[in-house]
Order: sequence, then structure tokens, then C-alpha cells
Amino acid sequence: MTVALAFDHLSVLYGAVTAVDQVTAEIPMGAMTAIVGPNGAGKSTLLKAALGVVPKASGEARFFGTSLDEARAKVAYMPQRASVDWDFPIRVIDVVLMGMQRALGLLRPVRAADRAFAMDCLARVELTDFAKRQIGALSGGQQQRVFLARALAQRAQLYLLDEPFAGVDAKTEAAIVRVLQGLRDEGAAVVAVHHDLASVPVWFDRVLLLNRRLIAAGPVAAVFTPDALRETYGGALPPLQAA
Amino acid sequence: MIQAFLLQSGYNATLVTLGAMALGLATGAVGAFLFLRKRSLVPDAMAHATLPGVGLAFLVMVAFGGEGRFLPGLLLGAGVSSLLGLWVLQGLVRGTRLPEDAAIGIVLSTFYGAGIVLLTYIQGLGAGRQAGLEGFLLGSTAGMLREDVYLIAGGGVLVLAALFCLRRVLVMVAFDPGYARVLGVRPAWVDAALMALVLAVVLLGIRVVGAILVVALLITPAVAARMWTDRVGVMVLISAGIGGAAGFGGAAMSAAVPGLPTGAVIVALVFAGFVISAIFAPKRGLLGYLRRAA
Amino acid sequence: MKHASLISRRSLLASLPALLALPAVSWASDAPKIVATTGMIADAARRISGGDVTALMGPGVDPHSYRQTRSDIAALVRADLVLWHGLRLEAQLVEFMTDLSRRVTVVPVAEAIEKDKLLAWAGYPDHHDPHVWMDPILWLQAVTAVEAALVALSPDRAEAFATNANLYRDEITALDAYARDVLGKVPPEARVLVTAHDAFSYFGRAYGFEVEGIQGISTESEAGLARIGELVDMLVTRKIKAVFVESSVPDRAMRALVEGAAAQGHTVVIGGELFSDAMGFDGTYEGTYPGMIDHNITLIARALGSDAPARGLVGKLAVGGA
Repeated sequence: MTVALAFDHLSVLYGAVTAVDQVTAEIPMGAMTAIVGPNGAGKSTLLKAALGVVPKASGEARFFGTSLDEARAKVAYMPQRASVDWDFPIRVIDVVLMGMQRALGLLRPVRAADRAFAMDCLARVELTDFAKRQIGALSGGQQQRVFLARALAQRAQLYLLDEPFAGVDAKTEAAIVRVLQGLRDEGAAVVAVHHDLASVPVWFDRVLLLNRRLIAAGPVAAVFTPDALRETYGGALPPLQAA
Repeated sequence: MIQAFLLQSGYNATLVTLGAMALGLATGAVGAFLFLRKRSLVPDAMAHATLPGVGLAFLVMVAFGGEGRFLPGLLLGAGVSSLLGLWVLQGLVRGTRLPEDAAIGIVLSTFYGAGIVLLTYIQGLGAGRQAGLEGFLLGSTAGMLREDVYLIAGGGVLVLAALFCLRRVLVMVAFDPGYARVLGVRPAWVDAALMALVLAVVLLGIRVVGAILVVALLITPAVAARMWTDRVGVMVLISAGIGGAAGFGGAAMSAAVPGLPTGAVIVALVFAGFVISAIFAPKRGLLGYLRRAA
Repeated sequence: MKHASLISRRSLLASLPALLALPAVSWASDAPKIVATTGMIADAARRISGGDVTALMGPGVDPHSYRQTRSDIAALVRADLVLWHGLRLEAQLVEFMTDLSRRVTVVPVAEAIEKDKLLAWAGYPDHHDPHVWMDPILWLQAVTAVEAALVALSPDRAEAFATNANLYRDEITALDAYARDVLGKVPPEARVLVTAHDAFSYFGRAYGFEVEGIQGISTESEAGLARIGELVDMLVTRKIKAVFVESSVPDRAMRALVEGAAAQGHTVVIGGELFSDAMGFDGTYEGTYPGMIDHNITLIARALGSDAPARGLVGKLAVGGA
């Protein structure tokens, strides 16, 4: 089992509050791992700290055995949707091409082959017809899929997704699951911060239970138990449909 | 006036027209990226912040026995104090709870006021040849020499080349700085590069249209261009085009008609470009809106 | 030329005893505070009163855009006599001076000049061109106004003032004669004076020169690009040899004129720097009104083809200045 991402006593402080507390866990290749926990558990923060988007207080995150800077080419990130200006004058295809920035570099013009690959990524998320639309003209679910296509365009081996299913319609949800499972089947590591407990055992292979500190980590069958969930969620256990 | 537009109105007119066009192209392009980054007012603060630097540079040069009106020295002073203003601005935004527009207002007015105090002090000194330091504020195309046009055109070309090299990362940082960070593109460096380019065009533009009006060249063409397209690349080109056309047209008009101040006419043309765009742009203009509503 | 130098030398020799006697009649420590705006007015006041006069605008300061500081205002308010130019030369000070005149004696010396001798300010029907000091004979009337104001301030010293004023007026009259002499030797087709702004109309009228300024009467108006083209064409067509920069106005527009003419194959030189709205440095000959006018006359005459002496009327101009 090759380790794509290893957290090693990673901690994050927001002022005096400990948002993430000494988390140590491993994310292997070829598996879909869910990070679950109650609101404020530090799930997004854990990912962001590993990626350097927010500062770490202590500990480290190792990517493919090295630092993030050395492994960047293999790491793709899909952030939460909210932070972008949807009126920005950019088309869907151009957003996907952004994911290819490392391959394109500063000067090289975008060639037909690059465009074809970008269209490929859009095809995988079922958005081919929307390639030339300005991003504001898309529905929420479609916008989510654009950002997934951008991550795909990075040709990464580790995919970190922050709430990829938040607020999307059923059709988009199904499309995204298909893509993620396809990536896993190709051998990549897929990590998703996820909020819907019911779908965890259905879609994911592994799970990290987080409530500021790590409660449990491992294969879903072993770790995703009612006791573990109770410990993670304390009293705030959301309804489970199948347990 | 036709002659002026055909660059046949004489040597001086041709120089100014070409220089103004080069400036307009560069400021239009830089302004487009500023607009995308939502920093359109920062050059206002930076332009007004050049004034104390000009005054201090003058005093320093006179103290060393010079005449005080050595242009590269004055521009260096302008650049340094503009950067200082930018630094203060960023410090205010990051270190306090002030919203960016309030910080811009503070830097703009404080530096400009300090500049006026310095200029008034210099006036009282009777040292050196200080008449005309205030020409920095409103520009003076009548005094444009061949070396000025070379400088502006050369500077404009360098700015455009730099923008071309950085075009993709500038857009990425403007659109999604967090994502850029993860890809390995550092937003802080890209922003610094953009501000350096802004400073460059502000210093170039001071000579033609003055510190106060150069801001119009950085904001208006971008806003007008946005109305015509949803594609970033096209928007930058249109913005540069509007700036260049206004520079060319404004200079030509002021060469043909006595009593027209060049800087002001250029800005008026840029604004006309905005009004035309606001009305006629197919999707985002008034006509487009009316047609859809009908 | 000899005629002019004789007059001035004789009056200089004659004035020596009076000059030596000046300290004896100067004021005691409670001398009245006299404040003048332009250096030209201050010079007249100093020469006539023999005492200290504060000038607000030093060498190289442009009165059209002058901004008064707090210390200026303090000096003005505490003055016993304020002498300013008027005729809207110091355009921003008009309201202030009107207010000030309620508390302090304020005299607009140029406004004492006969109105029918003034030139109009193009575009402003009620206003006159204020650059009256450029015509020495006309400026005599302002000098007389200064004398009258000083006499009103200290009537017991009227005689001393009259002596000094007469000497001063003689020097100025001598300059006028000198000007007619040397400028008369400039060939008729070369009698065009191109300067940074329209400060020299009175000069032109007095000595028969066409004057063209890049900017208008006030330097606050921007130099127009069309005007540059117009002037370049004129320089080339009429084969004008020299143009002139001014100490209180930036010189870039003039250099653009020279470049423009050169592009059409005609060489124009910058004949030198004239003192238009301000005098030269304090303590120098050019820092006095007679010196300023002497410098201008000599420079213009020599640049446009006359053989005026390099050191001017009384041999006191700085070397290399004209």
C-alpha cells in the first residue's frame, strides 16, 4: 500500500482555539477515503493545512514521502465552491485549462492537443456542451463539476476534495461519484471531506473520523461503527439510514 | 484635423500622438488585469503618493548642488514614494480592520497633502529651478521630446511583454488565489509583479496626462471592455485597444485644435468609449438589455 | 550707447554721497515692517526706503501659481505696509488682500498705472495684462506709487525718499534708452520674441517686437499641443534664430519647439534664460529690477543679432549670462 499523503501530528490553531489536534493518519493510493465529522471538526482545515493554504501550528504533512513543494505535480485540489466571483469573464474550458498550468508554463501557447485534453476532462464530468459558456451561466451542480474537471486536468495521483457533493443535484452527484471511482480504479488516491454519513459505506473504501482530533481511521467496514460514530459526533449524531 | 489623425500635423504632434497611443495601450492592458484582481483604485493612491517623492527628490538633488529638475531623479523619487504608499496601504489593510477603500483614501490624501506641503516649502526656498514641479500633476504634452516618446514607447512595450508572459498566472490569481497557491503559483509574488507594472505605467503616464488623470486610463478602458466579452483574453485586448485609441485620438485632436489640453481630451475620449460600451454592447449594454426585455 | 552710459555713470557718481549718507538716515530699531509680494516691488521699496523689505516671492517663483504659507500670512498681517502688484498677477491673493486691507495698509502698486496705457488680457474683457514691469517707463509709475506709499507711512522722511526714488527712476530711464539703442540694432525681420508665456507684451510694444508665448498670460493655463505646432511653423517660415526660456517657467516646451524646428531642417537655439515673472538670485545684480531688465535687454539683443555689450549697460551682468 503506497502512501499518498501522511499526516504526522498535524495541528492547527485559530487564535487560541485548537482547530486540528495532533492528527496522525495515512491516505493510501488506489482507495477513496472520506473525512467525516461534525461541524467545526476541522475537516476542511486539515486539508487546507496540509496544502499550506492555512498555516500549521505544528506537525507536518508528507506527500508521496516528500514535501508538498516537491510533490506538487502529483497533487490536485478541489476547494469548496463559494470563494469565486461567478461574474468573472472566464469560460468553462478556460477554467479547466487553468488546471494544466504546470504543464503549460508561462509562455507556451495553448495547442490543439491541450484543448483536446481539457475537453476530455469536461467529457468525464459530462459537461462537454458547456465548454464555451461563461461560468456564471451554469447551475450550482455544473459549477461544481467544472472545478472537478479542473482538478482532473492536473493529471494528479492524489485528489483532495473539500465537500465535493455539497448542495448538488442528484444527477451531478452521480456524475461526480463515477469520476472519483474511475480515478480510484486507475490507482489514484481520492480524499473527500464529506458530510452525508449514509453514503460513506456505499461510495468510500476508507474513512477518517475527525472531531478536532482523530477518532479512528481505516477501512470503512472496520472503522465506520456506531460506537465510533457516537464518539465522533458526541450527542450531535445526524440520522443514519443504513447502519 | 484629418491631418493630425494621419500623423501629418508636424513633428511634435506626431511624437505626442505616438507616445500617447503607446501609453494608452499599456495602461489599458494593465488596467484590465487590475480590474480582474479588483484593485482598480490602488493606482489612484499610488499616483497621488508620487508627489512627496518628487518634492523630496528635488530637495535632495539641490542639496547636492544640482539644479533639482533632473527628470530621472524626480521620477525615481516619485517611484520610491509611490511604493512607500503602496506598502503603507497594504499594511493598513492587513494590520487593521480598515476596508480597502478606506485605506486607499487615507494613503491618497495623506501622501498628496504631504506632497503639497513639500512643494509649498520648496517654493519658499528660492533654491534651484523649481517652477513646474506641479506639472507632474496634470502632465504637459507640449513639452514632449523625442527622448520622452522613446521612453514611453519602450516602457510600454516592456510592460506589454511582461503582461504577456504573466498572463495566465495573473488571471489565475485574480480568479482563484487559493487554487493558485496549491498549484505552486504564489499570489503574493504575482500581485507584486502586477503592482510593479502599475507603478511603471503610472510613472510613464505622469508625463503625458499627469498623476491625477492617469488613473482614468487604468480604470475606464477595462470597465468598458468588460461589457463586450466574457473571455479574459479578448477583454484585455479590447481594453488595450480602447486605451490606445483614446491616447491616439486625444493627442491628435489637441494637436489640431488650439486650447485643448491633451490629457483631459484623452480622458474624455476614454469616457466616451465607456458610454458607447454601456449603451451598445450586445449582451451587457443598455441596448442588449432592452432587446432582451422586449 | 555712449550717451546712455554717460547718463548712468554720471548719476552713479552723483549718487555716491547720497548712497554713503543712506545709513545715517535709515530707521532706528523700530523700523516699520514692509512686506512686498514680487521681488520687483521689493527692490523698489528697498532702494527708496533704504531699509529692510520682505519679499514673499523669491527668485524663480511663479506669481501666477504662488501659494501663500502660514508664515507669509503672519508676516502680511503684522506688516505696517503691504505692497502687492495687483492687476490679477497674484490671482489667488485678491480676496485675501481685500480682507487684509481692512486691517493693514495694502497698496496694489501696479494699479496706479494709467489704465489707458495698459494692454488687454485676451479672452478676459475686464482684465489687463499684468506684466507691466517689462516696460521700464511704465514701471516708473508703479515706483512712484511705492514712493507715495512709503511717504504716507513715514511723512518725516519724504525728502530722503524723494532723493532715492529719483535716483532709482533715473537708472530705470537710462535702461529704457539703452534698450532703444541696442534693440534698435536688431534687424527688422528678426524682431520676434518667442518665450514660454505671454509675459513680454509690454516689452514688445515699447521696443517694436512681436511677442509669442507658448502659454498665455497666466502660466496656469496648459501649453497647448496645437500651439507648439503653430509656433514651429512660424519659426521655420520666418527663419527665427533664437527663442528664450524663462526662470520661473519649465523649459521643456521650449525644447520641444527647438526639436520641432530641427525636424524641419531649421536650427533654432535657446538664446538664454530671461527673467520674466521673477528676478535673479538675491545679492546679485540680476537680483534687482534694473539688473533684471538689463539682463533681458542685453540677452535678447545679442541673441537676435545686435551687438550689445556682453556685461550690459553698466558692465555688471554676470559673465556668460548674456
